[in-house]
Amino acid sequence: MNGKAPELARPSWSFAIKVPVVVVLLMVAISTVVTVRALSRLEASQQKNLEVLSSAYLDGLSASIGPAVEREDVWEVFDALDRSRERYKGLNVQWVTVTNADNQTIASSMPTTFPPLEPMATDTLALFSSEKDVELNDDKAEARMTRPLLYQDQVIGHIYALADISGLVAERTAVFRELVLANVLLTLFLVVFGALFVRRMLEPVGVLSRYFAQGREGSMTPIPSELANRQSREFHDLFDRYNLMATAVNEREQLAAELAEEEKLASVGRLASGMAHEINNPLGGMFNALDSLRRYGAREEVRATSIRLLEHGLSGIRDLVRSTLTSYRADQRPRDLTPTDLDDLRLLVKPEARQKRLRLSWQIEFVDPVHVPAVPVRDAILNLLLNACHACREEGQVGFMARAEEGHLIAEVSDTGEGLPQNVKEYLERDGAGAAPMDRRSGLGLWIVKRHCDELGASLRVVSAGLSGTTLRMLIPLRSDFEDAA
Amino acid sequence: MLKFGLTPVFLSNDLELLSRLKYYLSRQTGREVQLVQRRTYEEITALLLSGQLTAAWICGYPLVQYREKLALVAVPLWREQPLYSSYLIVPVGREAAGIDNLRGDLHAFSDPNSNSGFLVTAALLAERGLKPEGFFRDTIFTYGHRNVVRAVASGLAQSGSVDGYVWEVMASLEPELTTRTKVIRKSELLGFPPVACLAAQANSMDVELVRKALLSMADDPEGLAILSLLKLDGFAEEPQSLYDPIAAKMQLIRNLSP
Repeated sequence: MNGKAPELARPSWSFAIKVPVVVVLLMVAISTVVTVRALSRLEASQQKNLEVLSSAYLDGLSASIGPAVEREDVWEVFDALDRSRERYKGLNVQWVTVTNADNQTIASSMPTTFPPLEPMATDTLALFSSEKDVELNDDKAEARMTRPLLYQDQVIGHIYALADISGLVAERTAVFRELVLANVLLTLFLVVFGALFVRRMLEPVGVLSRYFAQGREGSMTPIPSELANRQSREFHDLFDRYNLMATAVNEREQLAAELAEEEKLASVGRLASGMAHEINNPLGGMFNALDSLRRYGAREEVRATSIRLLEHGLSGIRDLVRSTLTSYRADQRPRDLTPTDLDDLRLLVKPEARQKRLRLSWQIEFVDPVHVPAVPVRDAILNLLLNACHACREEGQVGFMARAEEGHLIAEVSDTGEGLPQNVKEYLERDGAGAAPMDRRSGLGLWIVKRHCDELGASLRVVSAGLSGTTLRMLIPLRSDFEDAA
Repeated sequence: MLKFGLTPVFLSNDLELLSRLKYYLSRQTGREVQLVQRRTYEEITALLLSGQLTAAWICGYPLVQYREKLALVAVPLWREQPLYSSYLIVPVGREAAGIDNLRGDLHAFSDPNSNSGFLVTAALLAERGLKPEGFFRDTIFTYGHRNVVRAVASGLAQSGSVDGYVWEVMASLEPELTTRTKVIRKSELLGFPPVACLAAQANSMDVELVRKALLSMADDPEGLAILSLLKLDGFAEEPQSLYDPIAAKMQLIRNLSP
């Protein structure tokens, strides 16, 4: 996997994390609700059971000690309380005390704490509610029970009892712990299951991402059919569609490359034709000069004029050849752009301009070499100039201006053509458009310009485009020393 | 039919003991036997005096109370003697050397007609010119010697008067109760609670059958099983004078009464 693959795989990881996290949150929410509900149901059930048991206890005790309380018979009451201890073991009564109507103790199951025939302590009496038979105190894990003893509609005494409900509280705690443990285990299982499931589910997406990432590096690789056959029907279809797309893109790439080659040959042909024309023009004069030399060479003034004409003609041919060599020499190393490099372009464009009798206006506002690679910049500008020549009608005008300012080289090419179509304008201004030609009809000159722009990190803007002509501005950043070193 | 009365002198209403005793008496006397139980000495004594019982296991105190009307049938032997004593007990942690330390207590008695469970302590106080209701803060009657031990062991009563025979037998059968109590005084030996009948019927055939059955209990395997449950050695014929010391105590408290 290349260095960019993890970046592409990020969505699948985030899903693999997101789903378990959502499962955890849902489980926590559900388990909280279930736990709270179960505990409240358990508490209600325990309270009801306790109330029933307490009520039965108080009823039984009331019936058995009623007559003894009336007589305030200490032993009989004590005996009844003592016997009830075994009978109501499940209630876990800590103590029970029976008083007379004045709350004086008759007997208690804890006679040392509540001595017979002495008043009950007021702070103990205050613990008991006058409204309810049974009152639970979870904090102290105790249930307080009280019941008035009636005889012929008269209150003859009271029963006060305290039961230890720590067993019930412990049961609730145990249930709580079991619920929490079960929920934690279930959540963990679902998280692991969810993570594995999502990971497996997103595996084809990862494969697709990987192949797309490879496609960014160059031509797109189809996904092997054995890999596609292992996927579910949906992903199998998706992989098939990807493969169709990859094939189409690759074909288009190949076509574009072929077109570029054709265009290159066409350009070479045009250039050769122009050069032939340029060489041919002075040739007539030069042959005339030779003829004059042959005939009147003895004459001093004729000889001097003919030699000057020959020298002038050969100089022109030499400049043209040198400029061509400069542009198309294959083994060139990156070097800085000089004003001469741009001046040479005028010679290369001139044949094209002359055919349409175009006027060339040329303005170069820098003197020292500029820190941009000379060859691609020249090539890009040459293509823009040739394009401008094509755009102009006969006797039109093509302008060129170049200047260096604020870390950039600015090159502007203008023409007096009919302006740019909107789609061409958008193509030229779109960053990264150099990846592919615009379309076949528009030729490949602009594509070459865009490719060079992408390489140079340059931007291209249509400054004006109307009936009066078009001006394109190329903004090329100057190279830093670091890039040079690289 | 023979009717045999029982008081709470027994350790508890042991159904096994009652069924064995009923079977034994029936077999020995050749008569149908009915065991009659009441909660208090007074009720049994009343039944006996009214001629509704052939014989009854009562206490020495009712015997001396009605010595003209009642006669001895047989006296149980405990530790080879027809004697026992009354114990004064307190909760085990309490510091008390004798009855004088028990002033102001809530005191547990067994029965107002019990010798060991009431009369002995009342007589002890009478010797000091005191009555229980003045000496103790309050008194309760538990109608059972075992209940006296329970009342004192639980802390309900600060002290109690109990049958020494019952306490000793309980010490071997229910040590968890007696170890929570402490004996601070043992009375002199007194006549063991006897089996008595109406004096007028002392020589009747029914009484004679009962006497024979009781006296031969130690010689019979079934009788021995009963004696083993009761932790007794047998029954013996004893003179009425065995109960004179109890009569003297009764006289002591009667003399104190206004």
